[in-house]
Amino acid sequence: MAIKDAPTVDTIDFDEKAAYNPDRPISSLIRTQLLHLHLAEHIAVPEKERTNTNINMLHTERQASEYIQKVTALLHKYGKKTAKKSKPIKKKASAKKTAKSKKKTKSAQKKRTSRR
Amino acid sequence: MSQGLDNLKHIVVLMMENRSFDHMLGGLKKKYPKINGLTGNESNPDSAGSKVQVSATADYRGQLSHDPDHHFPGVDLQIYGGAPYAPGRVANMQGFVQSYGTQGPNVQDSHAIMNYFSPEKIPVLTTLATEYALFNGWFASIPGPTICNRAFAHYGTSFGNVDMNMFLVSDADRAKIPTIYERLAAGGHSAKLYYYDQPSSTMEIVNLIKDQSFFGVFSDFVADCKSGNLPEYSFVEPNYSDHPAPDGTQLLATDQHPDHHVLAGDNFIGKVYDCIRINPDLWKSTVLLIVYDEHGGLYDHVVPPDCTPDGFQAPEASTGVPGLTFKFDRLGIRVPAVLVSPYVPRGMVIPGPEDSQNQRIFEHSSIPATVSRHFLGGNDMGTPREQKAQTFLDLMGDNFRPDSDCVFFPKAMKG
Repeated sequence: MAIKDAPTVDTIDFDEKAAYNPDRPISSLIRTQLLHLHLAEHIAVPEKERTNTNINMLHTERQASEYIQKVTALLHKYGKKTAKKSKPIKKKASAKKTAKSKKKTKSAQKKRTSRR
Repeated sequence: MSQGLDNLKHIVVLMMENRSFDHMLGGLKKKYPKINGLTGNESNPDSAGSKVQVSATADYRGQLSHDPDHHFPGVDLQIYGGAPYAPGRVANMQGFVQSYGTQGPNVQDSHAIMNYFSPEKIPVLTTLATEYALFNGWFASIPGPTICNRAFAHYGTSFGNVDMNMFLVSDADRAKIPTIYERLAAGGHSAKLYYYDQPSSTMEIVNLIKDQSFFGVFSDFVADCKSGNLPEYSFVEPNYSDHPAPDGTQLLATDQHPDHHVLAGDNFIGKVYDCIRINPDLWKSTVLLIVYDEHGGLYDHVVPPDCTPDGFQAPEASTGVPGLTFKFDRLGIRVPAVLVSPYVPRGMVIPGPEDSQNQRIFEHSSIPATVSRHFLGGNDMGTPREQKAQTFLDLMGDNFRPDSDCVFFPKAMKG
């Protein structure tokens, strides 16, 4: 048996060129992303390396994505330098106990009908 | 333990954007009565008092002239039909058209919020929903927007936030409630958040950036699936904007956020599925959850249930609803969620609130709860909400479905 035996379903073709619109005004989601990254840039990136972009002047998806790319790259660059080891988390149970608790959880979930 | 769980080495979550259950999958009820979708008679009043019925006329783009409100006060209006906050008020899901009407130029435009897709228009999502397992009761974690809902998938809480404001998780909070990535890493397991590319980035970069090893991009996901190097837990994000690739290729947003092209997202779901499906070893050892972060202001007929509070409160100033301090004790609006694995029986429908005897209510805290339970044997560090969240791996059975029984989307891989 292999993938060639699988029943196939066609996705729907559409005019991707016509759909492409990087000059679309940005949504509230992307506006929020800009605000977040702008703040993160000021927290994590040294002043001399910042983009000095006025994000209020970014109105389209193309403009926003250019800024987001620059800041994401900078955050990766400086994220490394601030890396901290997180507190180790102990496994809650041994493998045997885990298997048992999974069984218990499963049956408990079956019994549970509501979380109200 | 089932054969499916015995073989499970990888959990992959793909989280899309801003579409409700009924909007995407409600049309399936006609052919599959167990699916808690639409009868076609559901309605909402518009601002002129006329009844607006649901309609299978949703289009891929261009129909929603403005982004439907999905902030906390807007969702409150959608759920309670405009009734002001008072203890004991009854949810009726009658405020969607009213809510959209407050944003648009005319009453007629507000009717589009009741549109839903006929199943053949989004073949990947509807095929996977009917070929594998569909949740009738998977809800957004809070009745609010993207940022706080996505936080529940990573932390099992939004740390008291109900809005789109940026929140920086303090070291103290982080020590008490680490991300699922940090928990896995500390337990010696691998985890990665694959965002689409740098121009699209991820909302989580601000809080997760302290550990670079948690990040990859979508091309890494494709390569890791091919080479068999997928981490134990993967969270995949779609492309959030139309933008050019470095080689000049035109990249379409694939997140399905209104007003991005819904077919671009449907094909993207197919590609994520195919990447796993095409590698035989990966296919038999992986479960894929496809879920949406929140409803995006689009109509759903199911009243969100109460839930276990997560230990935080959002004051009236944050909720924007006069008199309402939110105790995180009610879920957000229902979203599409599909579980895919060769160990999941075809056509499984997990009952939701429509079946009071057998209902299972899921929300985004179910993601860290499930991942913690499977890889870490449980989790003492999550919120009370996460501790009590339903997990979904018991849906995997003993029977491995052969290749001839599991679909493939040949054109999705070419995109």
